[in-house]
Amino acid sequence: MSTYGTPGAGPTGPVVHDPMTLPADDNVNAYTFCVELKSGQWFLQKGKMIAYYGAIEFNGIGHGRLDRLVRTSFHSPLHASDWVVAEGSGRMLLADRAFDVNSYDLDDGNLTIRAGNLLAFQPSLALKQSIVPGFLTLIGTGKFVAASNGPVVFMEPPIRVDPQALVGWADCPSPCHHYDHGYLTGVLGGLRAMTGLGGVSGEEHQFEFVGAGTVLLQSSESLMDETATGAVPAEPGVPGGGVPGPGGHGQQPPGAPRLPGQLGDLQRRFGL
Amino acid sequence: MAFREINSKMVEATVLPGQRLFSQRGAMLAYRGDVSFTPNVQGGQGGLMSMLGRRVTGEATPLMSVEGSGTVFFGHGGHHVHVIHLTGDTLYVEADRLLAFEGTLRQGTMFMGSQGGVMGLVRGQVTGQGLFTTTLQGQGSVAVMAHGGVFEIPITPQHPVHVDPQAYVAHHGEVRNKLSAALGWREMVGRGSGEAFQLELSGSGTVFVQASEEKL
Repeated sequence: MSTYGTPGAGPTGPVVHDPMTLPADDNVNAYTFCVELKSGQWFLQKGKMIAYYGAIEFNGIGHGRLDRLVRTSFHSPLHASDWVVAEGSGRMLLADRAFDVNSYDLDDGNLTIRAGNLLAFQPSLALKQSIVPGFLTLIGTGKFVAASNGPVVFMEPPIRVDPQALVGWADCPSPCHHYDHGYLTGVLGGLRAMTGLGGVSGEEHQFEFVGAGTVLLQSSESLMDETATGAVPAEPGVPGGGVPGPGGHGQQPPGAPRLPGQLGDLQRRFGL
Repeated sequence: MAFREINSKMVEATVLPGQRLFSQRGAMLAYRGDVSFTPNVQGGQGGLMSMLGRRVTGEATPLMSVEGSGTVFFGHGGHHVHVIHLTGDTLYVEADRLLAFEGTLRQGTMFMGSQGGVMGLVRGQVTGQGLFTTTLQGQGSVAVMAHGGVFEIPITPQHPVHVDPQAYVAHHGEVRNKLSAALGWREMVGRGSGEAFQLELSGSGTVFVQASEEKL
């Protein structure tokens, strides 16, 4: 038989929580995470808090006394307005549109995650923009909460990952692009590429990971909404810095890599 | 056993040299090893006639063949995935629900109108599945997609099963299916229960039902 567990609901029906029985810094069910605050702080993305017990204050970052947080924990002031500081004592529940939510512990480590997937993190972690556009890197020791479309699966390199299924990676050297277009070569393949007959497999382009580390995959190819990671300084040599925004031709556009789709696109890319 | 369920939305498939898998295009999430993904012009197995048959009947779903040696992870659109093992019998499933299946399975197209006559035709209209469905026959496993979790209901000659047409995913075994309509004057004046049409499956086999009435 299949397994279709109903999270949080036992055979006797839904579990009723009160402030005492709510888990501290753990998942309530697959879609909700409970954070315990003991006169501490947490950073969360705007609009991801669904309920709380106790005395918790939510403040936008970058105003008044919270100004120095930007300096100490964000390092990239330009997207700090998307974040909220929760301060006080109590328990708060985080969720994001019934996506699967998971917490991760970093112990003096680093993890790079797609910006849209990150929901909340402890201030002991430093959030930085990744060199890879659209990604954020968390460095240090602490806990963070991330959402994904379908449960997250951890994989060891070497592995090649569909760009839409990638959530993030830890301790890995930066990923590189990999192209599978073997079927577009040769006589038949050339014919295929020229006429467009037969279509494309949609799997011509992957991210390749090698070396030691962990790759985080979500179980679906539906991306979460993008969130701004903030602009990077427009200097030569900074990826994504030169031409802001996608749509720049002539070079690989920053942000999301071009999706395999149109055949003309493929031909140009493979130089056919 | 080529497919292994990693979680409710992802399956792992082992690809060995000489063994081919078919999967829906774009459904690969990640892979290890040396694996190639080739778009399949014919949309599956069989010769030219099978391909034409699928094209004509609208059961041609974009497939790709997966070959090589390694491990491939499949998942698509955040849908739940259910692995069905076939031991010689025939699985009836809509082509767009197929996530991946082993190359050892014979793929065919069946005219639904041949079961249940006129009601069979109405059935296709009501369920939006069309008049044709895909059959897979032989030894091997299939990964099908569903919105919400999938559960199996056994069908025995004594106990026919009624399924909401929108929640129906697939069935296998010696099963007759017909659409039973409970249309009355209430439906005519727009006060129906919303359950006017049901799929009645009788015989012996298994029907797979999704926990949602949303189609893929």
